Amino acid sequence: MSKAGVGDVAAVVEVARKDLLLELRSKEVVVATLFFSGMVLVILAFALGPDETALRNAAAGTLWTALAFAGVTSASQSYQSELDEGALEQLLLYPLPRATLFLGKLVANWLFMLVLSALLLPLSAAVFGASIAQHLPWLLLTVALGTFGFSLIATFYAALTANLRARESLLPVLIFPIIVPVILASVRASSEVMLLGNPAESRGWVQLLAGFDLVYLVVCTTIFPFVVEE
Amino acid sequence: MTYRTPKASSQPALRQPLWLRLLGLAALALLGVGVTLALFVSPADVNQGNLIRIMYAHVSVAWISFLAVFLTAVFGCLFLWQGRRVHDVWAVANAELALVFAALTLVGGMTYSRPTLNTWWTWDAKLTLTALMFALLVGYFIVRGLIDDPERRGRVSAVVSIIVLASLPFNYLAAEWFRTLHPAKSLALDGSGVTMDSSMVQVLLVNVAAAALLYLYFMLERVRLGRLEANLDEAQDTRSAGAPQEVIHV
Repeated sequence: MSKAGVGDVAAVVEVARKDLLLELRSKEVVVATLFFSGMVLVILAFALGPDETALRNAAAGTLWTALAFAGVTSASQSYQSELDEGALEQLLLYPLPRATLFLGKLVANWLFMLVLSALLLPLSAAVFGASIAQHLPWLLLTVALGTFGFSLIATFYAALTANLRARESLLPVLIFPIIVPVILASVRASSEVMLLGNPAESRGWVQLLAGFDLVYLVVCTTIFPFVVEE
Repeated sequence: MTYRTPKASSQPALRQPLWLRLLGLAALALLGVGVTLALFVSPADVNQGNLIRIMYAHVSVAWISFLAVFLTAVFGCLFLWQGRRVHDVWAVANAELALVFAALTLVGGMTYSRPTLNTWWTWDAKLTLTALMFALLVGYFIVRGLIDDPERRGRVSAVVSIIVLASLPFNYLAAEWFRTLHPAKSLALDGSGVTMDSSMVQVLLVNVAAAALLYLYFMLERVRLGRLEANLDEAQDTRSAGAPQEVIHV
């Protein structure tokens, strides 16, 4: 692997910009995923019953369930568009380190999930009667770290399964056992903030998230070239 | 890279070699000794009575399953580094054994917690970790089953095994923090910690050795079969191609 230079950073930005521009113009994934995750929230609200305290206690859990389901769908879509016209082969032909492709897609997926969670947070606060206004920066940090960890694994596995049969049903099976710590830490950290208004309690979980993000960022970036090698 | 030569010196024997058969018998014998020690020689536990005898099988199997996952990732790394198919064969042998031993750990854990904690499933950190590891290994085999090209299959499954290994510490931490009330503590062998009577430690070590020997036997046998499979694959490929081809030397 060559040394990371200015050109590599530019390539990462360019790949991310391409993906986001594509999404901005078609709005296929954003509309579908937003409605899908909204539906997940509503269905969970029905499933958990009309009791208001029960709903409030479940607010963080349902938010992250909706985000996780939506994240899997959007990650698999982000490679779908590359497969259609042989676009992935074209991308791989560029004389750049393969890791830039992964990092670019990662940035795009992460920003997408951030937008999604920005829309879902107020929605879930309204449906489940939870408070998001107090300690908002701390909640946002949790959301940023949690969605980053999720996007890391989702983007990586989406590339890995991109040209396999049955990838749509395969992707959640592969992703979910790995992101258990991310989901658990995010739910715990955000429910501490949303319910108890006590960010100090959740520091351990946020550290776990940061550690997960860091380790997998290094591991995934290092071994990504083997995934797309032909 | 070498061209396949007619002499079959590097071919694994079609019949199981004698030393491997002896190793299998030795593993079986040691397992017999371990079971006898666990059932008849080991003293009953102060708190759990005879139930402690499940622990000998449960703990030794669990340790081996983690060793097998670790070795799967090690052979996966070797495959990525050198691209020799034999490393993939070793990785699969270990992954299959990891799956079997993880399944045995789960069954053992459930049998153990039913009489002691009065429930089939506890969210104990180690048991949860094993369940997640089991799910991850199933994913490993699903991915393998979907790729036909042996080179790509080896590469992708090596990548998956590395991700699986890296996830274990995080899964363990998360599972441990998930339950602040550790069932393991109520299981502490004398009520104060993991201090164990030395006679029990000896029985446990014999059982761990038996499980390890059994694991070694199955691994070597699986590698032997895997190499035969790989050779058969390549032979069929060369025949269908109709011309001598470059093959990865196994």
